Amino acid sequence: MAELRIVIVDDSPFSIAVIRGVLEDAGFEVVGEASSLEEVKDVVKNTKPNLVTMDMTLPGTDGFECTRAVHAISPSTKVIIISSMMDDEIVQEAKKNKASGYIQKPVDSDELLTLIHRITDHEELFQTLDSEFSNVFKEAMLDGMNKMTKTLLHYKKESFHHEEHSSAGLTIIMGIIGSFSGRMLLDMKMETAERVVSSILKRNPSGNDEILAAIGELANIISGNACSILNRRNKAYGLRVAPPTIMHGEQVHISAPSYKTFSALAETDFGDILINVGFQRGDDHWM
Amino acid sequence: MDVKYINPFIESFMTIMPQLGFTSIQKGTVSVKGKQLIDTGVFIVVGIVGEVKGNVVYFMNLEHAKSIASTMMMGMPVAEFDDMAQSAVSELANMLTATAATIFSNVGITVDISTPTMLYGNEVSVKMNASRVICVEMNAEQHPFHINISLE
Repeated sequence: MAELRIVIVDDSPFSIAVIRGVLEDAGFEVVGEASSLEEVKDVVKNTKPNLVTMDMTLPGTDGFECTRAVHAISPSTKVIIISSMMDDEIVQEAKKNKASGYIQKPVDSDELLTLIHRITDHEELFQTLDSEFSNVFKEAMLDGMNKMTKTLLHYKKESFHHEEHSSAGLTIIMGIIGSFSGRMLLDMKMETAERVVSSILKRNPSGNDEILAAIGELANIISGNACSILNRRNKAYGLRVAPPTIMHGEQVHISAPSYKTFSALAETDFGDILINVGFQRGDDHWM
Repeated sequence: MDVKYINPFIESFMTIMPQLGFTSIQKGTVSVKGKQLIDTGVFIVVGIVGEVKGNVVYFMNLEHAKSIASTMMMGMPVAEFDDMAQSAVSELANMLTATAATIFSNVGITVDISTPTMLYGNEVSVKMNASRVICVEMNAEQHPFHINISLE
């Protein structure tokens, strides 16, 4: 976020002048000011700022109502609350209203600039993750399958998408947690899973339970390895995986999440396996 | 699995549902299930990592999912379980789990949650990680809503 565009919301011209001074001295561009709900809506609509500093006490409204108004117009705009009041309850309320941080007045310039840098670094970190995760997960599946079954797979179709898709029968879901949360899922026919597991065990699996346990472990290894590679590249990701949840049934549809995901369809010796991965930007991440 | 892990989910449901326009909320039965659950309807899986680790799987049948989505959208009619309705129910799972995570942190257990993954289908069997899954049957406006918790 090289050119950061900031709007200051405050009903005190003195506070606005102080905050503007700190921001402009640091080289940021202040693109607007507001001191009422109507002004907040207008200035956010007209200037589309990356960041808003928000006072809590405003005539006829409050900082939370204005924060919600900002996000309704521009969901990716970050809001920092700057108020003379600060206690646990009000900070909780700020988090609930998807503010990104809280600073108490009088404004300490170092504190404000540190918070702004943390927010912009977080955005840049997401851009980096977004550009590299698809290849890392593809590699991790190729590598995991190769090590466990001594076979090679090749990816025949890849896309970033936003739509619901039908399950081939068996879906393994791995929740991912860290600086950004997300999920990985594998999807395949039950027969494919059975053949994969037979190859790993070098014998026929004893039953459904063994197939599901082994395929869950395969998903765990793929997602765990992929997250480790990403964490080694940048430890700020701090990614970890939840245990697998395995689902199979008839006419199962997998809904599109609220963020775009990456899918790659792999042709393997055992049948097709779909890997689908995505991370959420986390616009309400608390700094 | 420790039974104390279920209370944050019940409390979360009791807190969140009234905020979304559900006036009558009841806690039904709590039962212990084996690893495998089978049902027809809508499932939302949320992963949990931290001082406890596991998954929570929310379940409701398709008709109730549509009614719940409709109430969440201020009574807008929901004839099909379309993108909008799916997004509402998925967001509900996210809110319920995030609130449960906050309640966990208030009692000194720090956990983070993954994004929700939603699936729907017929005769879906669900295998969770723990050997025992605790199922809490809640009711919101006569809509049964199952919270299956598997934490270790």
